[in-house]
Amino acid sequence: MKTFLVFVLILISGISTPGDKILVNATADQIVEKIAEFKNEKPVLVNFWATWCAPCIEEFPYLMKLNKEYEGQFKLIFVSGDFEEAREEAIAFLKKQGVDFETYFKVGKDNEFITTISNEWTGALPFTIVYNKKGDVSAAWEGKAEFETFESELLNVINED
Amino acid sequence: MKKSNKLILSLSAVMILAAFTQITTVDALKIGDKAPQTTLEIEDTSGRSLTLAGVAGDNGLLVMFTCNTCPWVAKWEDRYNGLAALAGTNSIGMIALNPNERIRDRGESMEDMKRRAQKQNYSFPYALDENHKLADAFGATRTPEIFLFDSNMKLVYHGAIDDNADDANTVEATYAEDAIRQLVAGTGVSQQETKSLGCTIKRTE
Repeated sequence: MKTFLVFVLILISGISTPGDKILVNATADQIVEKIAEFKNEKPVLVNFWATWCAPCIEEFPYLMKLNKEYEGQFKLIFVSGDFEEAREEAIAFLKKQGVDFETYFKVGKDNEFITTISNEWTGALPFTIVYNKKGDVSAAWEGKAEFETFESELLNVINED
Repeated sequence: MKKSNKLILSLSAVMILAAFTQITTVDALKIGDKAPQTTLEIEDTSGRSLTLAGVAGDNGLLVMFTCNTCPWVAKWEDRYNGLAALAGTNSIGMIALNPNERIRDRGESMEDMKRRAQKQNYSFPYALDENHKLADAFGATRTPEIFLFDSNMKLVYHGAIDDNADDANTVEATYAEDAIRQLVAGTGVSQQETKSLGCTIKRTE
């Protein structure tokens, strides 16, 4: 029994990604650098969300589903705009959604952050921006989108020559 | 039905769906634009029928899009009355508008607004923006979001209240206050537009 429990504990610690690895502090400049890493390699979809934002929570699973369906064909980047006090809640949500990759936690003043990311963004959440392989913005929008919209915008850039 | 026909139909359905789900962007007022819909009648939480023109003071008008359910509003709300007091002493009228039509039955009804205004001791009118007519005319996208107009009802500042929703005590840039003071001093508003995170306005589809 004891051996079994130890085995289960090892298994759990092995599959559970620590919170500080899936939600990493990032300034707007660091997000921009991260996006640029995939230039000429693959399209990138960046989604800005927060735990308190109902439309963000509703659309989040669509992106996770697309990330699985089009695995390797695009890079999915999540950026949380949560307040510091909600960091643990954000980590718990990410884990519940099955996120096992690095995502980001907004650091810095809103005005500078938003302006650095995109002129298309007024600050409303959720905000999504899609880059093609060349690193150009293909689409950007505020507010919740349906699964079909995300998929259609992604296919546009995945299938681009 | 042939396989190829089925494929064409499916593709057409996806294209139509994509066209209908395409998200439209709202064009916001630009600095210098006149305040729109100033004679539209709106009802506030005290039951009064108001217009933007009627609320405006001798030196201008401060319009704030806000709501009852947004955590960013809750964070910034402790600065609302101070802003209203500053506007008032400078002969600038202030009004808060709730444009969240899609979720009127989920915390954004007039009754909810009345409770909010009472609980938070709002010292300014809080009116329901029916069918987000004013939010659409202004091109507002989020709550809270501020528009400041001068005595000619021309836009002189648009954006955030200040640079720190989380803590009023550690604010470094008091954008809206500065804009009011500069407007009244006649020096011109130094930072005319700012951006801040906020909740999307819940428009009807």
